[in-house]
Amino acid sequence: MIAFAIAAPFAFALLVRLIPQRSLRRAARTVLTVIAAALPFFCAGSIDRLSLLFAGIVSVLGLLATFFSEGIFADDWTKGYAIWSSKPIYFILLGAFWSAMLLVVLAQNFALLWLGISFTTLATAFLVGYSGEEAALEAAWKYLVLCSVGIAFALLGIVALGHVSIAHGIPPAAALSWDAIEAHGTTGATPLARVAIALMLVGFATKAGLVPMHAWLPDAHSKAPAPISGLLSGVLVSCALYAIMRTLGVANALGAGPFAADLLVWFGALSAVTAGALMLAQTDLKRLLAYSTVEHAGIVALALGFGGPLGWFAALLHVAAHAATKCAAFFMAGIVAQECGSTELRRVRALWTMHPAGGLMLAALAALCGLPPFGLFVSEVLVVLAGISAHRYAPLAFGVLGLALAFAAIARVAIEIEGGVATHVATRRSGRFTALTTTLALCCALGVAIVPWSTLGSALLALAASAGGTP
Amino acid sequence: MAELAIVLAGAVLLLSTRTVTMLAAYVVLAVTVSIFVAPTALQSPLSLALFAVSTILKVIVAPLGILVFVRANPQAGNLRPSIAAPARLALVLAFALVSRAAANIPSLAAAPLEDITPYVILCGVGILIVHRNLLSHVAGLLVLGTGVTLAGAVLAPTLPESLELGATFDALVATFIGLALVRAFFARSSVLDVEALRSLRG
Repeated sequence: MIAFAIAAPFAFALLVRLIPQRSLRRAARTVLTVIAAALPFFCAGSIDRLSLLFAGIVSVLGLLATFFSEGIFADDWTKGYAIWSSKPIYFILLGAFWSAMLLVVLAQNFALLWLGISFTTLATAFLVGYSGEEAALEAAWKYLVLCSVGIAFALLGIVALGHVSIAHGIPPAAALSWDAIEAHGTTGATPLARVAIALMLVGFATKAGLVPMHAWLPDAHSKAPAPISGLLSGVLVSCALYAIMRTLGVANALGAGPFAADLLVWFGALSAVTAGALMLAQTDLKRLLAYSTVEHAGIVALALGFGGPLGWFAALLHVAAHAATKCAAFFMAGIVAQECGSTELRRVRALWTMHPAGGLMLAALAALCGLPPFGLFVSEVLVVLAGISAHRYAPLAFGVLGLALAFAAIARVAIEIEGGVATHVATRRSGRFTALTTTLALCCALGVAIVPWSTLGSALLALAASAGGTP
Repeated sequence: MAELAIVLAGAVLLLSTRTVTMLAAYVVLAVTVSIFVAPTALQSPLSLALFAVSTILKVIVAPLGILVFVRANPQAGNLRPSIAAPARLALVLAFALVSRAAANIPSLAAAPLEDITPYVILCGVGILIVHRNLLSHVAGLLVLGTGVTLAGAVLAPTLPESLELGATFDALVATFIGLALVRAFFARSSVLDVEALRSLRG
């Protein structure tokens, strides 16, 4: 069942391609996408709760991104310079991307998890360079090279982890299974165990866009088509953070927990403050949102580094809230690009009065700022509390500074693009379907705000307590 | 003997200025590493099959793909190193010294070829830094993948086949997507220099 759930999005995308009639193809895509999104939930009995949570994020946002792509897909998207710039290839690559992310979160060991991360690079390199424009190709190239180097180091760490596991008496077949390693446990970390954990963290942090391995992220996330940007920022980064969470669990079991936590805390602090500062200098909406992803990944890394049930709960809530919010923000950036012909900030004005998406964009930007009642507000408060309870005041100060800088940058942009006098005439009206799916994505973000007081909140808290028992 | 071949091939990868020379050095490196890795692939038929596919991809298909591109576009033949030859030589020596130091990690002391593995990995990273030709980046990723494969064989030869699958896939990603992007970029801008990839900054 798990294998079927993983393969479904890609297989269904290929299947839809075989249908000759256009209207039938569209209907089939809708039905099959819903089925593909539902399948991981039927695996609940055979995967743990952490995997289920992330599979839910991947599935729900994968579904929304597919619908949104259908609604926003413009004719000129197929006039790219590259040979892969066509609608059928786009949906096949999107299905492959979705399947790869499911492989990451449903894998039971590091070898398959790594394979999933590697698959995401294969699918998304062409999606980043989809338009075939020079800048998009440049972004795709940087993405491919930097992420390949990063995940090569992660693989090296995984190999070293296998060596350590086998040396501790774990059978080779289970040497890369986090369940086996955590069940076995060890007393003290060997130097090689530390090297393995460091390499894995650096590798996965590259994919998560943590500073200083972030150079590819703003380029790739800003040059991809809007639905793909949403998935890259909201979901792929979450998958990389999931890999970091699994690594942290294993690090705790190998006695390298404090070492891994220290590393994550400083990656997180550096990411939050660097991205926050760079956000102030941005002149493009999508690039601003991309840097915001670096900042939020940093906040999650900080929370994980602070550790304990509170830190883990904050991290999980932040990942879920950020995924939904960032998808919504990028979807709306796609609408802005179609309406204004550009996402350059100087060309985007009076969104509030010009388009219904203007209000939604303002809500998304408010959510990204961490304003109540959005989920990110709750999670950011919890991260601060986790930092205080862990007595990690220096990195916490950097994190808070990063949040303040990001708030200033987003608030400035929100005022600029929502107000003012329109400098353009709307060229195209995006379909209702587009706005609907965008709203749905935003509702997810809003819904997450009430998580701490709901049943789901209790389940998340229990999960955090079991996952983050060791600081 | 195998160690010497790997050391020399790594040095040529960094010191050469012609793509074809670099490719020849890469093939020597990949073949030598494959010979070393081969015994670990004999555990099961699946492992052997994955090793065979991986070797064919890395040793034959990938270099051939790059070679065909170089033949069709002569300007791709120059690696355009960003630093002078003496500095590149110093880098090779530094990599060798660092690799010797890495071999002193107690947990690694018993592993065979423990000082060669970091050297190959460092050479892979070095190629990415030293050469400005985009094709050399594809080769750099291949060398890095070869280094990781060697590390797998040295450190944990009994690990599951999925890692072999990973290594195979790594080669596939690095080569074919890389070449497709290089081709598209070259068709668009007629340059293959990494210096041309600077429009997205800040």
